[in-house]
Amino acid sequence: MITLNDFLIISAALFCIGLYMIVSKRNAIQILIGIELILNAAILNLVAFGKHDSLNNSGQIFALFAIVLAAATTAVALAIILNVYRRYKTIDPGKINNLRD
Amino acid sequence: MNNTSSHTDLILITCTLAAVALPLLAALVNFCLPVKSKAAGWVSTLAILISCVLAAKVFAGVWNNPQIHVKQVWFTIGHTKVYAGILLNNLSVLMLLLVSVIALPVHIYSTAYMKHDDRYSRYFTYLSFFCFSMLGLVVIDNLVLFYAFWELVGFSSYLLIGFWFTRDKAVQANKKAFIMNRIGDIGLLSAIIILFVQYRTFDIELLFAQKGLVVQSVVNNGLWNGPVGSLPAICQYIAVAGIVLAVAAKSAQFPLHTWLPDAMEGPTSVSALIHAATMVAAGVFLLGRVYPMFTGTELSILACIGCFTAFMAATIALTQNDLKRILAYSTISQLGYMILGMGVGAYSSSLFHLATHAFFKCLLFLVAGIVIHQMQHIKEDNHLDIDPQDISLMGGFRKKLPLTFIAAVIGGLALVGLPLTSGYLSKDGILIQAFEWSDGKDAWFSIIPVMALVTSWLTAFYVARLIFKVFFGDFRLTNAYPNLKLHVTDGGWPYKLPLVFLMLCCFFPLFSFNPIAYEHAWLFSGLKLPGFVIGESSYHLIIPVVVNVFSLLVIYLAYAIYVKQIAFSFPQTGFFYRLSYNQWYFDKIYKRIFVKPVLGLGKFLYWFDKNVIDGFIHLLAAIAGCIAGATAWIDKYLVDGFLHLMASTVQSIGNFARKFQSGKVQYYLFSMLAIVLALFILKILI
Repeated sequence: MITLNDFLIISAALFCIGLYMIVSKRNAIQILIGIELILNAAILNLVAFGKHDSLNNSGQIFALFAIVLAAATTAVALAIILNVYRRYKTIDPGKINNLRD
Repeated sequence: MNNTSSHTDLILITCTLAAVALPLLAALVNFCLPVKSKAAGWVSTLAILISCVLAAKVFAGVWNNPQIHVKQVWFTIGHTKVYAGILLNNLSVLMLLLVSVIALPVHIYSTAYMKHDDRYSRYFTYLSFFCFSMLGLVVIDNLVLFYAFWELVGFSSYLLIGFWFTRDKAVQANKKAFIMNRIGDIGLLSAIIILFVQYRTFDIELLFAQKGLVVQSVVNNGLWNGPVGSLPAICQYIAVAGIVLAVAAKSAQFPLHTWLPDAMEGPTSVSALIHAATMVAAGVFLLGRVYPMFTGTELSILACIGCFTAFMAATIALTQNDLKRILAYSTISQLGYMILGMGVGAYSSSLFHLATHAFFKCLLFLVAGIVIHQMQHIKEDNHLDIDPQDISLMGGFRKKLPLTFIAAVIGGLALVGLPLTSGYLSKDGILIQAFEWSDGKDAWFSIIPVMALVTSWLTAFYVARLIFKVFFGDFRLTNAYPNLKLHVTDGGWPYKLPLVFLMLCCFFPLFSFNPIAYEHAWLFSGLKLPGFVIGESSYHLIIPVVVNVFSLLVIYLAYAIYVKQIAFSFPQTGFFYRLSYNQWYFDKIYKRIFVKPVLGLGKFLYWFDKNVIDGFIHLLAAIAGCIAGATAWIDKYLVDGFLHLMASTVQSIGNFARKFQSGKVQYYLFSMLAIVLALFILKILI
């Protein structure tokens, strides 16, 4: 029997993997993948908790919305990465340090 | 101003002022001239010539006429008005004339005597300045101004004694004269202060006139009661003692006489004017001005001082070998006579002697100047190492310097006081009155006139010794140096004219038509004190005879000793010889009693200053240095260190904090994550 805890553990693991990717990867695309992993962890949580909701399938509908939104944000993010590449000729965030004092 | 002053008085006052001011003007002009300018001599001489003429006019107008006294408010302090003015009476016009008449030949003489000096115009500046001070001194009516002129006289004397200031002896001598005169000045100043406190005035006429304030005051019950106020009697004694001290210092009386022989380091013409005729007479003049202050015992003390000084100086003059020193001691001795005369009440004789002494002593000094000048020439021509003033080297100048010889003889005879000379009139006057004075007193008092009598014989001896040694016999220097080149002459008219003029002034007709009796001298009767009665005792006959007979014997004795060399020669080892030769050891005693302790005190104070006071200051400085060092250390290491620590802490915190601002997005995220995690952990732990 798969319990809520199992879902939450998977979700937490996904979250952590995503976080790790965001922090450690040297490629903006991989970071974007990490962000997607975190987003999916959140969606998984939404679906898992949706089973215990008084309204049927409302969680799953929210998840669908979230997936669409994630696709949209990914498109925007890819566009940004493309522009960054055009400007800096690199997509390694470690080398883009114009924010420094 | 005195409202009764008439037109003639006004003219006389103007003449007096001009006579006093002209030498000052000459001094100022000479001061502006170049140092070697020969015009200086003529400027000064012309000034003193006009002064002399004006003084003669004033003298003719005032002598035996009522005195002239004009004064004006000088300054006001509170309600006290201090007047300054001119007081012309017999005494002051006599001195006015005397000073200018003596100064005139000395000026003429100096133009030749100082001709080759490098500082010719300076000499005449000083000389004119002295004449101004002296003339001012005699006519002024106010004790404060009197004191000022008194100081100026001392100051110009100081300048002239040290005129050849490159000689160490001259510097010592003028220092000595200045310091000894300063002692007297303290006396005069304290006397003036006491008189002002007692009488509230500085006016000499108000104080010392016949019915003046001083005469009206009496001492009783330990109080000195004057018309204005009263003071303890001791004040009067202090005032009198102060005056005596001032007189003793200025007129070179015992115990302050030792400066005068040393003052001979100045040019001889200066000695003739200042240290024989005028300045040293200022003390006697002061006595004449303040005479009413002295009564009874005080007069006796004066007589003792004068008598002792006269005797002591005469004994010293017997054995000295320095030509000018003999004359200096002779001056001290004659001044002693004047003080003695004042002491025994022979007021007019004393001042009479002052006048006659001025002429013959000035003459003798000018003679000495010529002789020394010639000796100096011999010394320089032949490159000898001799003292040009040593009479034991001289001799035989009678033929080489005929006029000088005659002048010396006449001056010498006047000094001895032989009949027909002026000295006879004045000196016998003092002697006779001294004997009359002692008649009415204890037997002890008769010592004084007897000593004075002995002194006059001693005078005869040293004068004779001087003249015989210098002018008779052979020129002793040729014994030692046979090949001397000699060009000895009397000199030109600037030398001869003053000699002739002063020679004429040494004879009796200038002072009295009767060559025997001093009572008939016009000068004597003009200065008589009111109430003075000429004694009618037998002394008037005996004294002159005794004095002159013995004097002639003494002169013959000296002739026998020094010219014929038949009589015995004096042993030069005896106690009395050494006492006399060493000037009664006064200089040595003073040196031991006063000079050495003072120098010792000075050295001690110097040591104290250097070691204790300076040491204390240095200690303070060292302590302050230490404190400053410690403060610097604290400042550098503690205060600055603390600040540096703060700064470096802040810097390191900043550096630590700025590491987070790396500009890397992932790093920011990581930091945020770490902080969030830390917060969570903290929250769980707490």
